[in-house]
Order: sequence, then C-alpha cells, then structure tokens
Amino acid sequence: MGIAYISVQWNRQKKFYDAVLVGGVAVYLSVFGALTKSLFPFVTDEIMLMRAFGTAAFLLLHVILAIGPLSRLNPKFLPLLYNRRHAGVTLFLLALVHATLVILTYHAGSTVNPIASIFISSPLNGAVTGVPFQPFGFFALVILFLLAATSHDFWLANLSAPVWKSLHMLVYFAYALLVLHVTFGVLQGETHPLYVGATAAGLLGVVGLQLVAARKTRPLDEEKAPDSGPDGFVDACAVADIPENRARIVCLSGERVAIFKYDGKVSAVSNLCQHQNGPLGEGKIIYGCITCPWHGYQYAPDTGAAPAPFVEKVPTFKVQVRGGRVFVHPQPNPAGTQVEPALIAAPATIL
Amino acid sequence: MKQPDEFYIGWEAKAAPGIGKTIRITVGGLLAVVVVAAIAFALAQRLITDGVFEWGHLKMVSGVLESQPYPHLLVTRPGKVAGLPGFSSYYLVAPWKFGLPQDAIAPFAGKPVTVKGTLIYRGGQTMIETKPEWIQATAPSAPAITPTPVSLGRQTLTGEIVDSKCFLGVMNPGQYLPHRACAIRCISGGVPPILVVHAQDGSLTHFLLVSAAGQPVNQQVLNLVAEPVEITGEVVRQGELLILSADPATYRRRK
Ligand code: FES
Repeated sequence: MGIAYISVQWNRQKKFYDAVLVGGVAVYLSVFGALTKSLFPFVTDEIMLMRAFGTAAFLLLHVILAIGPLSRLNPKFLPLLYNRRHAGVTLFLLALVHATLVILTYHAGSTVNPIASIFISSPLNGAVTGVPFQPFGFFALVILFLLAATSHDFWLANLSAPVWKSLHMLVYFAYALLVLHVTFGVLQGETHPLYVGATAAGLLGVVGLQLVAARKTRPLDEEKAPDSGPDGFVDACAVADIPENRARIVCLSGERVAIFKYDGKVSAVSNLCQHQNGPLGEGKIIYGCITCPWHGYQYAPDTGAAPAPFVEKVPTFKVQVRGGRVFVHPQPNPAGTQVEPALIAAPATIL
Repeated sequence: MKQPDEFYIGWEAKAAPGIGKTIRITVGGLLAVVVVAAIAFALAQRLITDGVFEWGHLKMVSGVLESQPYPHLLVTRPGKVAGLPGFSSYYLVAPWKFGLPQDAIAPFAGKPVTVKGTLIYRGGQTMIETKPEWIQATAPSAPAITPTPVSLGRQTLTGEIVDSKCFLGVMNPGQYLPHRACAIRCISGGVPPILVVHAQDGSLTHFLLVSAAGQPVNQQVLNLVAEPVEITGEVVRQGELLILSADPATYRRRK
C-alpha cells in the first residue's frame, strides 16, 4: 500500500497554488495589522494579532468551503480543489496562532489552569453573555487539527477513502461551531453592522452554494435503474450519448457507474475514485487511462487498475454494445478485474 | 450533456488555457476580496481605547499606601489644581491576573512607601503593577495625608463591571463580552472590580465596588461581569476615588 500516496509531486501548478495561498494570507494579515496599528495606536499587539489571525482563519474557511460546490458546478474550478488540503493546513495554523494568543492573554496567569479556564471562566448565566463561545472555538480547533493531521494521503490510504471522507465532512461541524463562536463572542462586543453582515453573508453563501450544487447532482441519483433483460444486462444509454474519451454516469442498482467511450470501445468502471471518492465519470481518458478530475489518479479502463507502480483499483462492470446502445451488467466485478471492452462496431462489419 | 473538452490535471506542469484563465480571474477576484475585507474589518473596530500599559518600563513612585477598600497609593500632586484633591490615587495590583494580597501589604497600610512597578493608565486613572517585595517603607517626608470620605448620596447607576487592570490598559480592549472570561479570572484573583458608567457625552466615570459594609466584593460580582448592570447604592468620594457601596445581591442585570 505504501507507495500510493507519493503519487503527486511538486510541480509548477502546485507551487503557484501555494504561493497564492501564502501570499493571500500574508497580504490579509499585513493590511489588517498595519491599518489597525495606525488607526488605534494604543491597541496591544497580542489583541491586534489575535484579531488578524482569527478573521483570516474564518475568511479562509469560507473560501475552502466554497471550492467543493464551485467545482461541482463548473469543472473549471477544479484546480482550486487540487491542493485544497494545503489551504486546510494553513487554516489550522492560523486558528492555532489565534487560539494560542487567546489562551496566553485571557486565560494564563490566574488561579486556574489556562485550558480549564476556557471552560469554566465564562460560566452559564441564563443570558446571552453566558453562551460558551470559547469552548465552541476550542472544539472547532480540535476538529481542524484532526483534519490537518490526517490530510496527507498516507492517512487516506490507511483509513480508506469512505472513512477519511466522513472524517473530513466534520469540517462542516467545525464551521457551525465557528459561526457560534463568532456570533456569541466578538459580535457581542464589536457591534459594527459590517461584522454581522459579513458573518451572515458568509453563512448564506456557504449554505446556498451547497444547495445549488446538490440540486445539480441530485437528478442523477433519482434516475431509475433500467429494467434488466433475461441475461441480467441492463440498457444503460446510447453509444452516441457518450462523448469520445469521456464518460456518461448512470445509476445501476444504487451504484454509480462511469461508462467510457474511447478508441471505438466502451468500458464501465465504478464512478468512485479510490483516492478521495472523486467522480471518475467526470474525468477523461488521457494517455489511454481514465484520469480522475480531482487529483489526476489514473486507471486502465478495462481492468480498473492504476498503472504500476500505483496500486489503486476500482471495480469494473461487464459491458455489451447492441444496436447502438450500451448494456451493462449491474453486478460489479472485484476491483481490478479485467473485462473485455465492448467494441462499438460489430466485428462482422469491420472488413 | 456535452462536456467541455478541456481537462485539468494537477500533476501536469501547465493547465489548459481556458482553465488557466478562469483560475487567474478567480484568484485575482479572491485577492481583491482579501484586501477589501482586511481594510473593512480593520476600520470597523470600535472597542480599542487609549489605555496604556508601559510593559517593560519599571518606575519608582512614592506616596502613602492605603489598603482599604482596595490597595492604592496616595501620591502628592505637584502644585495645586482647583477642584481636585492635593493628591492622586493610583490603584495597586500584582502581575498577571492578581491583586496585591492584603496580608502582604498590611504592614505598610497608612505609611509612606516607595513602589517599584509598571504604570497602567487611561484617561485620568492610573494603576501600578507591582509586587509586595517591590514596596519599601520610607521616612515620612510630608505631613500624612488623610482623605476624608464625602458622601454623594444614594444613586442608581447603570454600567458594566470590569476588572480595573485590563480595562485601564493591560488589554486593549479590556472590556465587553469577548473579555468576560479574562475579567472573571482577574476579579477572582483580587484585581479591584469597577463599574464603568458611560455618560451621554461619551465620558466615562469609574466606581470602585464595595459591599454595604465597605468590604471587597470580588467573589460576589463574578456572574455579572462584562454586561450591562444596574446598581443602587451609596456613593462616597474618597480623595480621587469614587466608591459605590451596595450589597452585590441587589445588582440587577439590564437588557
Ligand atoms: S479523488 Fe483524488 S484523484 Fe480521484
């Protein structure tokens, strides 16, 4: 299993991504910091930094949460998805600096342990002032740490894609905690309408993008499984529906299958990429391999296996072409099973 | 459904031109949002005050140490200013989130001393962060000052209970809800609690909080810190200090 995760190497695009990420964060921190210092010369540095890092982290989280639905809506945004984990790790580091400053400033140097102080120093009192906004932030940071620590493909490979994926869905829980952290924390003191407005707009944006993207992908799931014939093969689609070197995704007995057309042949594989469950059916055949749109993992269309030295395999499906239509057997073969591609033109007509 | 034929592969060195263009526009837009957000978020802050903590600068201040109701130092004012007492009152606190322990300063009560410490000030209010071992008895140089308490009658005041140390400048801002936990830690550590009352014209008045019997109330006010409260009690002027005595059980949360 060991070598699978070294597949993505450093290259020009990756460097550009990180340069934009680090540059953007640095620009935000320095503009916010310099302006705060010049407008309010008496501000203490730790509070200026606490605010700069806290707002930067919250802003970056919105960007990160927008990337997924945006690239589902338009594949042109996929490059943003590619190294999203770098943004996630950066987010955790920003939040960590914010939290460290908060603990040193507000919680250290008293009669109780600084970490315990987060939980007991602002007790419930039946009023809005007693809502435990600091514990919300603490738990969000714990989640961000977990996600950053397991962001490497090593963990993806060892936890398996579905487990890893559900773990990383926790980012939405962290976001919810942070909305509460901000609402019952700084918004209770800094009451300029801009902050309330920006927080609300961010929430609407995140939820709205998710809904729009979900609406776009839903019809596929509702597609009724076509009736199966006596041999068990089902009519999946017309050959003409599939663009050359691309796929069409159909839903067969509850599983999404990607049917690829290439070089006068048709092959069908599971739609789920072994890396992070990316939609293989939105990928393309490149250099003879199905290439995942998310991070470029590759699989041979007839075996579902990644080219050596990589070891990922996806399930394959038996296919036939009859009368211009593609028939697929809905029973998946074990991942990596070789299946003879169906020829589009009947052999007899090739002379 | 027709799929666009450009396809992005992250492990290739260059993205297809159409994708590259979309990404460049997106990145440019994002950077613009980042700059606008940084400017707007910085400008909209309103809580930062003119409080100062001279961190790292130790000074020597001489005066008469008073231990009641909270430790403070009476410092003779150079020259006479009409309407003001002949001395200033500097609150005394310990480092971090602690007040000066009463038993450590009891031997100096009412006596002339020199205090080494760090100044904290905001508006007309001054505080010194010091340690018991930095307080030294000195020979009396001037006639002892005895501030006579003057009653200003029973008043009902609405304001916010803050810990005087952070409020005056150790933290800036050092009040309002985000600072509640810290204020609770400081007040429970012995830092004098004060009621800050905002006047219509924006000016602030500070009242040291004591019980009806004139004792410190640190442990009784914790649950009402950092939010609007209404307190009715007797106000006494003692030198420069305004002292509000009321039973903390009668403090009321305002909404
Ligand atoms: S999901 Fe990452 S390459 Fe397919």
